[in-house]
Amino acid sequence: MSPERWQQISRIFKSAISLDGEARAAYVVDQCGTDESLRSEVEKLLAFHHRAAEENFIGGRAADDGAALLIEPEDLKPRLEKDQKLGSYLILDQLGTGGMGEVYLAKDSRLERTVALKVLSPDIAEDKHRMQRFRQEAKVASSLNQPNILTIFEFGEVDGLTFLATEFIDGETLRTWLHRDRLKVPETIDVAIQVLTALEAAHEARIVHRDIKPENVMIRHRDRLVKVVDFGLAKVTEKRSRAFTEQGLDTEAITEFKTTPGVLMGTINYMSPEQARAGAVDERTDIWSVGVMLYEMVTGVIPFGGPTTSHTLVQIIEQEPPPLSKATDAPAELQRIIRKAMAKSPDERYQSAKDMAVDLKHLQKQLDHREVATDDTDYTDQGSEKKRVVFVALVAMVAATAAIFAVSVWRASRERPPAAVPGPGPVVAQPERMLTYWLTVQKFRDGRLKEPYVIAGEINFEAGDQIRLNVRTPQAGYLYVLNEGPRTGETVPEFVMLFPSPTANKGSPLLAADQQIQIPQKSWLRFDAQEGVERLWLVFAEKAVPELESVKGFVNDQSKGLITDMTQNKTIHDLLTTRSTTKPNVEKGETLTTLKTPGDLLVYPIRLEHH
Amino acid sequence: MYPLVYDELHRLARRYMSRERKGHTLQTTALINEAYVRLVDQRNVHWANRSHFFAISAQIMRRILIDHARRHAYAKRGGGAQQVSLDEAATVTSTRGAEMLRLDEALQTLATMDPRRSQVVELRYFGGLNNEEIAGVLNVSENTVTRDWNMARAWLYQQLNESAAN
Repeated sequence: MSPERWQQISRIFKSAISLDGEARAAYVVDQCGTDESLRSEVEKLLAFHHRAAEENFIGGRAADDGAALLIEPEDLKPRLEKDQKLGSYLILDQLGTGGMGEVYLAKDSRLERTVALKVLSPDIAEDKHRMQRFRQEAKVASSLNQPNILTIFEFGEVDGLTFLATEFIDGETLRTWLHRDRLKVPETIDVAIQVLTALEAAHEARIVHRDIKPENVMIRHRDRLVKVVDFGLAKVTEKRSRAFTEQGLDTEAITEFKTTPGVLMGTINYMSPEQARAGAVDERTDIWSVGVMLYEMVTGVIPFGGPTTSHTLVQIIEQEPPPLSKATDAPAELQRIIRKAMAKSPDERYQSAKDMAVDLKHLQKQLDHREVATDDTDYTDQGSEKKRVVFVALVAMVAATAAIFAVSVWRASRERPPAAVPGPGPVVAQPERMLTYWLTVQKFRDGRLKEPYVIAGEINFEAGDQIRLNVRTPQAGYLYVLNEGPRTGETVPEFVMLFPSPTANKGSPLLAADQQIQIPQKSWLRFDAQEGVERLWLVFAEKAVPELESVKGFVNDQSKGLITDMTQNKTIHDLLTTRSTTKPNVEKGETLTTLKTPGDLLVYPIRLEHH
Repeated sequence: MYPLVYDELHRLARRYMSRERKGHTLQTTALINEAYVRLVDQRNVHWANRSHFFAISAQIMRRILIDHARRHAYAKRGGGAQQVSLDEAATVTSTRGAEMLRLDEALQTLATMDPRRSQVVELRYFGGLNNEEIAGVLNVSENTVTRDWNMARAWLYQQLNESAAN
């Protein structure tokens, strides 16, 4: 097409799209006159304009659309398996995977201790620069022998695999906690104080962490002990008494922030203004990041986060975060502490982790006091100081007793053998079906997928959220997982057979004892815009279930498990409704749910509510 | 200078990977290094203002994605990840790369007839900018950007549909 022709079409198109129906048609005819081919071009283009808008053609972003191109199937291979040995480490379980490699739970046979073994991806192991970073992490963290800093045991290479062995923490990251729940004020303060204690030790050794964020803060389940992890970006700084200009500029941080060992997803939201500006950094950069983290803990949202990295950086450098007072009812003093930690100029922030911790501890004491004082007025007349102290002690004792009681009840309930079935005649060993499941959830918020986390059961979902179902079966048996679509009126719902599928478990429903599977194996189940309640039906049987075996034959790759034959759907529907009348015993833990049912067939629907 | 593309690609790659089962940074690492090298190559460019930077970022993003699309479109693909999805939207298809290439070609053709409209698409689709920002970069009104976008998108969509039919 000649540029002149293009100009002609463009001029008519421009005016035509602001007109409707007949007016538009008349306008086009009028403008094109006798030039039939021009008219046809313009009309076609107008038609495509509507289709493009309707189908949201290139309405997203190229990088998102093209992200799939960044990945190759051969990158998806697993490496170590259970019971396999790597040097003196025996692999016990796989804990997770991230961009850097896999993390396993392993036993060090030399010292009989359990460790977390991070096995690096080969491409990372080949990257000298990154290896240097790991060595640095190992060196830095082992030089900082502090209870709030994750201990690193060994960084080494065996059988061509490079690994980092660290202390194993049975816990979760602060990120996971934040996803699951909002932290209460005392919890927030407690976590922050512990992070600051770790930083105090690091700063004392003139080490700046430079990548403090919820992903790098682990919290042990048992006692809420906080461990700061990932010193891979840490930098040894000069004493601050020297002139600023003598310090290294933090260009490294900004370009390498993205390759931090152990980071699941790169983020710049916790970066300080001086880092964002690629300026000089010192320990006050970590103070900033703690401030941002605290902000998120009390409000539930990050203070700086734009649609793109550049927007975020500009916000960090130039803009004040949304005022805390409007976003939270946290104590004013806590808000003041956060504001001070997040002063744009490092000189206006807390000058040391210790100073900030002192203020937080002070607040912690005040709050303890106030809580008791408030209760106090309910029970006593004006409450003298003395009484108050007694009351504190009493509350503490009651709480401790309650905790001990709770623990022993919990133990007892766990340790008690299954009750024998009462009834006449000899006791026959009752068959029982048992399985454990949990969901991996990835929420879709503000146009992006959040970091995945694990939950025990049902929560409400929104469009774009993604989930995976994980099932572990202590016994061998036949597992079938079906997705029941939202019900429309009286009709039988349509089912999708998620497991077995032609690709998962080689198409077989049979699982070995202690086998763990993920459904779907390689992708996610994503919620679309249609609202309603869906169910994931778990069927776990001692023997193959004939009804489902016959349905299995109808499922192939093309259909993606969707069962379109309504007779088949009816068969499934009938089976599930009649057999789910025996409800399994449901035991919900923090991160997993255990189902138990007497008999040889367990049927259970996981409810997925979708708004 | 902020290596924004570097960061952006990393974010995307990470995010994409996090949806997958296993860690695999091979492509990501290569990709990011590539982005970085390209940015560094631009060092002699004077970063006059943010607009200029956005424009360069969009260009680099486009080049990298197209390079990868080219490799993918021509690579033999067998039995990749099978997807079972409630909405099937997440399906990774081998046609993705080919689509991206066809779009790039069409965009090149558009540039010969109408460079500004082509740039609007580049800034918006590849650069991730909104109309207001594009107006700033190109120093035109936001209305002009909207009109340019409508026309360019319609035309590109037509090209892709017609080339697919042939």
